[in-house]
Amino acid sequence: MEDMHVMTSAMSTQNDTKISARNVQVYYADNHAIKDVDVDIQDKTVTAFIGPSGCGKSTFLRCINRMNDTIDVARVEGDILLDGEDIYDRKVDPVQLRAKVGMVFQKPNPFPKSIYDNVAYGPKIHGLAKNKADLDDIVEKALRRGAIWDEVKDRLDAPGTGLSGGQQQRLCIARAIATEPEVLLMDEPCSALDPIATAQVEELIDELRRNYSVVIVTHSMQQAARVSQKTAFFHLGYLVEYDDTDTIFNRPQDNRTESYISGKIG
Amino acid sequence: MSTLTLILVVLAIGVVGFVVVRQRAMSSADGDARNLHSLPFYYGSNALIFACVPAFLLMILWLILQPILINNAVSSSIPDSAIAEGGSRGLVMSDVRRVADGLNTAVQEGQMTEEMARDMRVDFTNVRDRLGEVGVALGSNVTETTLNAAQRYRSLDARYGLFMALAVLALAACGVTLAYTQTDRDFRARNTVEATVRVLLIFASTIAILTTVGIIFSLLFETINFFRQYSWTDFFFSTNWSPNFRGNSDLGILPLLWGTLYISFIALLVAVPIGLFAAIYLSEYAGPKLRSVAKPAIEILAGIPTIVYGLFALVTVGPFLRDYFAEPTGFGGSASSVMTAGLVMGIMLIPFVSSLSDDIINAVPQSLRDGSLGLGATQSETIRQVILPAALPGIVGAVLLAASRAIGETMIVVLGAGAAARLSLNPFEAMTTVTVKIVSQLTGDTDFSSPETLVAFALGLTLFVMTLGLNVFALFIVRKYREQYE
Repeated sequence: MEDMHVMTSAMSTQNDTKISARNVQVYYADNHAIKDVDVDIQDKTVTAFIGPSGCGKSTFLRCINRMNDTIDVARVEGDILLDGEDIYDRKVDPVQLRAKVGMVFQKPNPFPKSIYDNVAYGPKIHGLAKNKADLDDIVEKALRRGAIWDEVKDRLDAPGTGLSGGQQQRLCIARAIATEPEVLLMDEPCSALDPIATAQVEELIDELRRNYSVVIVTHSMQQAARVSQKTAFFHLGYLVEYDDTDTIFNRPQDNRTESYISGKIG
Repeated sequence: MSTLTLILVVLAIGVVGFVVVRQRAMSSADGDARNLHSLPFYYGSNALIFACVPAFLLMILWLILQPILINNAVSSSIPDSAIAEGGSRGLVMSDVRRVADGLNTAVQEGQMTEEMARDMRVDFTNVRDRLGEVGVALGSNVTETTLNAAQRYRSLDARYGLFMALAVLALAACGVTLAYTQTDRDFRARNTVEATVRVLLIFASTIAILTTVGIIFSLLFETINFFRQYSWTDFFFSTNWSPNFRGNSDLGILPLLWGTLYISFIALLVAVPIGLFAAIYLSEYAGPKLRSVAKPAIEILAGIPTIVYGLFALVTVGPFLRDYFAEPTGFGGSASSVMTAGLVMGIMLIPFVSSLSDDIINAVPQSLRDGSLGLGATQSETIRQVILPAALPGIVGAVLLAASRAIGETMIVVLGAGAAARLSLNPFEAMTTVTVKIVSQLTGDTDFSSPETLVAFALGLTLFVMTLGLNVFALFIVRKYREQYE
């Protein structure tokens, strides 16, 4: 057993697999939302989930940090391994897991607190800072990496809700990376943003790839093509096709993928 | 014609107008509703409004003015000699009105014919007995002057009533005619109907405001009367409350105010934590099944009459506190105490705090919860650091509303804390509040213009200003911080 464990970890470093899902099923009460999904998500890569509305891509994303636990009727079956460890194992505390697997939501959701407190929220909860100076440092670093530092450095005490939509979303990204996650899940992070803010966030996602494994759900195929290296196409709860982004967009293997990409279904 | 019949006739005119005008609108559009500016219904409603609204307004005005006019006319016809010693014109007039009403009732019930009532004479009939038969009791025998005045009152009343009926009906008919002539395919009936509805809405909202103003003024005038007779410095700064019905009372508000605030403070100390924790549990932790049972169950507490809480304080909580806390610890031997009233009042306030806070916590967007949980916060961290701060203004508002309820509460205090005005820190001693003293000052058998009675209005105004201040402050807090998460 111990050997197996070592072996899987060794293998995952070899292939650089960060998350590996096997035979995942999700039910919302009687509704079977995700069916037999197998996927390996690589480290330091941007993986895009595309597919028509209601195809289960967001649901699957929420399985990866167990956000579905907060929905009473949701039930997850199958295995999802993060660095070779089953995240649905009883030993795993979902709260700890979510610190490792951060999430950015569709709508910017800054807390009704100051910009500083928004970013400091995670580090404070997880005790990442030894003292105030340390915390200041973490906040500045996160805001810089969120590409929003220059815009807010003079008003860190202003409420985060007073920022514009694009700034709010970058603040939320900064807030998520302040806790030093290993994986960053993004659920349509640009759907509420204008084109300029979208470009800024996309640039940011590309930056983040150096340190994190990023999984992004998007409705925009152009966006998927621009930011991701790997793309997974979901349809009616099935993972239809998963490959390099180039392959998916240029030489899809499955008819359904091709139809979706060329705009025939969706 | 009675008022009710008149109302029905006006309504009937309105309904006829509705049908006729609707018809006219349709025929002006060649039978096709699409050619009309508004739907046919609006043309009809317009006629209904034109018929009823001015007519009813005139009627209301008339019904208010008519008794005043008749009263003046009849009253001036009564000679000064007819007014008994020690009485007043007003007393005679009220007798006149009762006799007139009595005669009307008798005629209506068929006990007398109209002629009998008109020709009644004091020398032949005992009017008092005859009216007693139809259920109108009179304090003394009816004199000739009174009867004559009453007859005059009746005839004026009947004549003016007829005038009113004619005027109202004429106005209703004019309204319908106007609506009829206005109606053609281009007339903007929808706009006029909607404008009328808007006026109705404005009227409804003004009533509440005007009532508040009216309450303030009625309190204010009596309070001014009080302060003419009693020094305001003594009222606000004296620490002694001992009303004396023979005069020379000490009417210091401080002991009452202290009792009010002390009891309210204890009540809030009970209600706020329990109510808030219950709200947090119900909105964040409880499953939908438990919630659907527990929430109404808690709200039942709000439906219990306060007198029942008072009984609970009197027979259960008071003796319990005395036997197990106050007496063993040597704090006092009274079952009525600040603690008793405070505890029971606190229980009464729990549903206020919990129900309002529950709604407010539920209104915090789910996205904030997701955001916090997604950062690896536990549920309790999320509640403490994100949800409660976001809901705080609303919760403060709920607490302040509960506080103004507590300050205005009377029954629980009477039964739970007693009626002794006292300045003391000991929570196991009997004290009393402003509201209790208002009741006891007004129920005494004293002259209505003495300071001992009028002080009730000064107390009431003070209380009103306090609760109004609290409510305004609550609204201010809620408004100021509301947009934060929207």
